[in-house]
Amino acid sequence: MTMLFLQIAFAALCCWFLFITVDMICGLPRNGGVCGATAIAKAIEKGGGNINGGTMMGNIVSSPDASAGTLLAACGVYCFGIPGGLIATILVYIGNRICYDPGYAGTTGCFIATFMVYGGTLIGIPAECFIAGMVIAILTIQGISHRNSSKLLGWIWRLFR
Amino acid sequence: MSGDLFGLIPWTIESPFSSSYVVSPSGDVEIIVWICIAIAVYSAFRVIVEPDVMRKLPFLNVFSFSISGIIALLIPQPLGIIAAVAYFVGSTFESNAIASTWAGGVED
Repeated sequence: MTMLFLQIAFAALCCWFLFITVDMICGLPRNGGVCGATAIAKAIEKGGGNINGGTMMGNIVSSPDASAGTLLAACGVYCFGIPGGLIATILVYIGNRICYDPGYAGTTGCFIATFMVYGGTLIGIPAECFIAGMVIAILTIQGISHRNSSKLLGWIWRLFR
Repeated sequence: MSGDLFGLIPWTIESPFSSSYVVSPSGDVEIIVWICIAIAVYSAFRVIVEPDVMRKLPFLNVFSFSISGIIALLIPQPLGIIAAVAYFVGSTFESNAIASTWAGGVED
């Protein structure tokens, strides 16, 4: 039982760093992909948050980005191994185009996460732990305090820029 | 939870996650499904109590993450991936539509 929670915590840390890094490299905090993302950013800024962090959170809501890619790659590897992760990558690419998003953050994140999750299964962390880890990682960004998480994302964006 | 429910359902329910078609997950997977359910219920509660419409949407995003995780955990087959991705992309598209409509439509 304790071992399971340690595995989930390690998987959550790996997923957190992977999706934040891919999103920052793809420049999600720079500007909103659709006007809805900009509106969410303005609402978060009005609540005392950071505009760049809010833009990234709006982009995560509006289109499947690297966090969605990591979750769906973990689901794919859990169900069907590496081919499942690659199927999920193709479907995330189609989902990005459906959601009117010109970027490649979701596809890149899903492709990298497929191999990260498969590597995790080789060192003794099963793929279902990565599913729980990614749900916990997105909870820390989107689900607890928008003001503080957008400030954290804005701080990381200043480091990257 | 065993036995048929008031004689209405013909099959035997062994756990909340099983039916005559879906095999109940065991051990670690069941604990992980319960973690996802707890996060889904928490985010649904936050969606209800948040007054600002635009700030409801990130909580809704957490909700769809947990539900697509549960779908993939309960259907460990290749079609389960397609079901999870279809649910997730659909819910993201809906959030996108709600946010863009609320913000005043698509600009050309």
